[in-house]
Amino acid sequence: MLIREVMHLNPISISPETSLSDTYNLMNDNNIRHLPIIKNDLLVGIVSDRDVRLATSKFAKTSYEPGTMISEIMSHPVETTRPSEPIEVAIQTMRQFKIGCLPVLDDYKLVGIVTVANLLDAMLLMTGVHYPSGRLDVRLKDRAGEIAKLTKLIADRNINIHSILSYPDANGKLRVVFRVSTMEIRPLAKAICNADFEVLWPIQASCVE
Amino acid sequence: MLIELLKEWNVYKEPIEPNAINPVELEAIHDSKYIDAIEQVSSGAVLNGIDIFGLGNSDNPISLGMAEGARYQVGGTVLGAKLLIENKAKKVLQLGGGFHHAHHNLASGFCLYNDLSMAITEMVNHGWHVAYLDIDVHHGDGVQEMFYSNGNVMTISIHESGEYLFPGKGWLHELGQGSGRSLKLNIPLEPFSEGDSYFEVLEKVVKPALSWFKPDALVVQAGADAHFADPLADNLLTTHDYEKIFRQIIDYADKSCNGKVLFTLGGGYSSTATPRIWALLYLILNNLEMPEYLPENWKNHWEQILGKTIPNTLHDKLPAYEIIPRRDEILKINKDVIRRLMDSVSQYWI
Ligand SMILES: [Zn+2]
Repeated sequence: MLIREVMHLNPISISPETSLSDTYNLMNDNNIRHLPIIKNDLLVGIVSDRDVRLATSKFAKTSYEPGTMISEIMSHPVETTRPSEPIEVAIQTMRQFKIGCLPVLDDYKLVGIVTVANLLDAMLLMTGVHYPSGRLDVRLKDRAGEIAKLTKLIADRNINIHSILSYPDANGKLRVVFRVSTMEIRPLAKAICNADFEVLWPIQASCVE
Repeated sequence: MLIELLKEWNVYKEPIEPNAINPVELEAIHDSKYIDAIEQVSSGAVLNGIDIFGLGNSDNPISLGMAEGARYQVGGTVLGAKLLIENKAKKVLQLGGGFHHAHHNLASGFCLYNDLSMAITEMVNHGWHVAYLDIDVHHGDGVQEMFYSNGNVMTISIHESGEYLFPGKGWLHELGQGSGRSLKLNIPLEPFSEGDSYFEVLEKVVKPALSWFKPDALVVQAGADAHFADPLADNLLTTHDYEKIFRQIIDYADKSCNGKVLFTLGGGYSSTATPRIWALLYLILNNLEMPEYLPENWKNHWEQILGKTIPNTLHDKLPAYEIIPRRDEILKINKDVIRRLMDSVSQYWI
């Protein structure tokens, strides 16, 4: 999945001269937490609602007046991403720098913004929960042909696999979570179990009838 | 099986015969391209690209005449709605229907056309507020989705949690949108939930919901697949529980909507339990006495066909199954589900 598939288009941005109070109100009115700062069509900084609140807090070492220009407190340089970047790279960037959003630049132009919420939505989409389906969780040997063997079992029953998600498990095994469009998940789980796969979900699926 | 059983008891009354609904009328709830595809493959046409409509897989295979069959079912449920609207009846039992998984443009879970949504639409068009109660063990996703932002329709679905069971929906947070907000209620129960949890849901959720919403009619999807013998799911209702649930629902209908209630059947995949559950519903609605035993002829006849033993009594013998080790924990989790749901909706129900 690529950034362009999950990003917000046409994000709201502000100029470096915007006051802290205007910035704060703009965030509130639009129910957003990040604003990119643009000067001469170039991204020069970014600010979060937390930055604004901390800057004006009574507890801060230097407490700024509401009329202060945003350029005084904005973060820069800015970590960014591009539309063609895979989301897993962007997620690593965000985790590395402990930030909650990345402006998306294309040829130095701001074309979008991606936040943690977008990435959670993407994750949810990958799990296939949006389609009427049943959940199947299997532990496999992490080697060639195992998934093929398993999916053939499902295909032979004329059941459509709506989504596949996999991740490494302990002891060199692989966990694969399917969403399959069938009401008869238990008979399917039984068949898979009988073919010597370890079925973890549905729970209490037993092999032999 | 059900009808033969009722006939054997001499309690079967010839039902009012519905007409099949015509395909154009279905456009009230279904995509015309979807209807087209079903009608065509049902009459033998071979079409490409019907996968996007959920057709042609193991749950929704294609068979000749399936469209007519489905439209006849819809006709029956819609007729039930009309009988209530025209005040020709107060309590209607459609001996079929209940296809709650059919979506706007997607066949799913053995369902093609959504008879329940058509019947509800008929009532809403008459200016009614309608409450829909779904006790099938699977979430009533098709019906909920079609009325998700509709303020005239309340949907309540009691089901085994989507974590464990098809269609993987029906979460607590699905509360409706726009004017439908707080009118879509979901009670996802733990697997192996028993009667006690169901009674608690009826008392603490369904009862206050209906008395607050004050519907003009209640539509009930009376799926029998929450029975302990059902092979597709885990919940553990007995026939005794079902009887209590049916009576409770009728009582709520009497108190909240002048007794106007339309029952449909639904899922039910245990051939030995399902006919007994729906026979109970039939007897209760007709105020008939409950025979203790099943007719010998009927039992022998069907045991031969099914190759299975059928209990000789209408009701399950108790104890019906071994005690569930996690029983207390399940009850606790279900109580918590009820509390969380009521916390979410109480701010709206004023
Ligand atoms: Zn069902």
